[in-house]
Amino acid sequence: MPKLTIDGRTLAVAEGTTVLRAALEASISIPHLCWHPAFPPEGSCRLCLVEIEGFPKLELACSTAVREGMKVRTETPAVRESRRRVLEFLLADHPVDCPICDKAGECKLQDYYEDHGLTESVFREEKERRPKNIDLGKNLLLDRERCVLCTRCVRFLREVTRTGELGVFERGVRSEIGILEGRPVATPYGGNLVDLCPVGAITDRSFRFRTRTWFLVSRPTICPLCARGCAIDIDHHPGLPRRADSAGVFRVRPRPDEAVNGFWICDLGRYGYLDLHRRRLTRISWNRGGPAAEMSRAKILSVLGGKIREMAVRGRSSRLGLVLNSGLTVEELRSVRDGLLSRLPEARLWFDDPPPGEDDGFLLRAERTANRRGAAGLGFDLAPFDPAVLGKDLDIILVFGGLSVGKGRDEVLGQALASIGTKVLLSPVETGLEPAFDFLIPTALPSEKSGTFINVDGLARSFEPAIPVAAGVWPEGEFLAALAEEISRGA
Amino acid sequence: MVKAWGYLWALVKGAAVTTRHFIVNMWFHTLRLVGFKRLRAGAVTFQYPEVRKPLAARHRSLHRLVARPDGRPRCVACLLCVTVCPSECIFVEAEEDPDPDVQKTAGRFEIDLARCSFCGFCVEACPEDAIRMDTGTIELAARSRADLLFDRDRLLRRN
Repeated sequence: MPKLTIDGRTLAVAEGTTVLRAALEASISIPHLCWHPAFPPEGSCRLCLVEIEGFPKLELACSTAVREGMKVRTETPAVRESRRRVLEFLLADHPVDCPICDKAGECKLQDYYEDHGLTESVFREEKERRPKNIDLGKNLLLDRERCVLCTRCVRFLREVTRTGELGVFERGVRSEIGILEGRPVATPYGGNLVDLCPVGAITDRSFRFRTRTWFLVSRPTICPLCARGCAIDIDHHPGLPRRADSAGVFRVRPRPDEAVNGFWICDLGRYGYLDLHRRRLTRISWNRGGPAAEMSRAKILSVLGGKIREMAVRGRSSRLGLVLNSGLTVEELRSVRDGLLSRLPEARLWFDDPPPGEDDGFLLRAERTANRRGAAGLGFDLAPFDPAVLGKDLDIILVFGGLSVGKGRDEVLGQALASIGTKVLLSPVETGLEPAFDFLIPTALPSEKSGTFINVDGLARSFEPAIPVAAGVWPEGEFLAALAEEISRGA
Repeated sequence: MVKAWGYLWALVKGAAVTTRHFIVNMWFHTLRLVGFKRLRAGAVTFQYPEVRKPLAARHRSLHRLVARPDGRPRCVACLLCVTVCPSECIFVEAEEDPDPDVQKTAGRFEIDLARCSFCGFCVEACPEDAIRMDTGTIELAARSRADLLFDRDRLLRRN
């Protein structure tokens, strides 16, 4: 392990590490635009120049490998001066339209100018005018004026998705990012380009002009839409300053997790999970043919708890059915097993998971549910079942609607349920199944609760609530605990 | 009874203050009348609704949105005024501008004067000089809260 000194701090790093990586690991910041931990160094932005003892000129931190005894200095006057000049060149042809740029607030160029630049530009020439609104396909928009040609987007499409839709066209000062005629970006990982772009050149049409980044609160959670369980950050608007739409969740972005998703997420997770936040169930209600009547937690708990307690007391627990899904967290499933099933030993149990989708060979898995390994680990039987068996010999059924409950089987499920006395649906989102049930209880999305998912590779990832629980929502964990307590009351 | 004497005492005190002002002001007015102009002038009451004192050049009065030559607001909905506003009284919703050089403009722009504290931070924050508080309108009383909500068109009308 070679040792090097950066700004007087001695660090031991692995063989072959670059100076920039070594510095970042030690939390020493060196500005960089084109370098990204997922790619080999490119060395095109020239921002990461540092002073290394024994080298005649400033060296690129991103592409210089560490050697034993290297002495690096990142804050000498020469380094600071070079950064200032590089930034001046980058900004000479940058429109500086930060007020209308969606990236403003999280733009690296903006940050570096604030930290290292702050120069009056000496350029008196008119800035180059380029197209500002090029459709790249999907939700992506390209602004060529803002582009600093770091080529992160090009390298992502070449090296990660291997689709290569974007390229650098022309040469020298005329270089520009573009697509081939009629071949827009089509990869299901295109959304990552927006996060990857260090400036506001590639922006997301679905986020365009909706708010400014500094109003958003970003918190970590896990994407529940497939068995990969990608680490994500979810950005929500806390409500003030006022907005017309109350939709609190604005963005889903990947959070680096080397073992699970690297630095990326698929567009299904990015936009699909965002969509779920827009069609929520919001009221505990009782379907009585006409308009659904709203119920309080206490009321529904006493109704349901009373019925189930009676079953338990009379030893008729086999007439209770539970349809679970493996989108529930380990903690919730454990609470079903230890809280409910211990008191109702003969209750019937099924798992209704969404039908498998397509496995794209990269992140997205065929299994479209987050916690099958966790459920199997708790000893549950996850075999698929025929909804027709539900109708037989049941008085009460509790259905935990997953994030895509009843996809393609609404009809069958609805008919099967018709003969059961009391039908309860617990679901975070509107599924279209609501009319078939007597009671509806809105539950929490994974971003609103804490818990643990075990992903397809057996990696357990715990998460905390990332956004405030939506109005009227009763998280599954709390409901199960309350129900278990209600049932054991007086027993 | 003692309380009543207290009121009477306050009346006497008040009358004394008024009398003092009257005598002092008359004294300065009289001096000025006979030619001692270098002494301070006596107070003059402005007959407000009929006679108005000119506003200071930097006086912050009712806001206006500055318009481009074509009548559309200069505002690009950068939301810096919303960010800086301590009373959280500004509401802006961006929309696409038909002019590709402008790109972004304010579709909705509302100021809730019931909340506004007239600090002028929005004017200072604006990178486009799109909002100003120079209309000179200072009589802003209204009969309902809705009348105090100034929307984009109402703010543009003051140009």
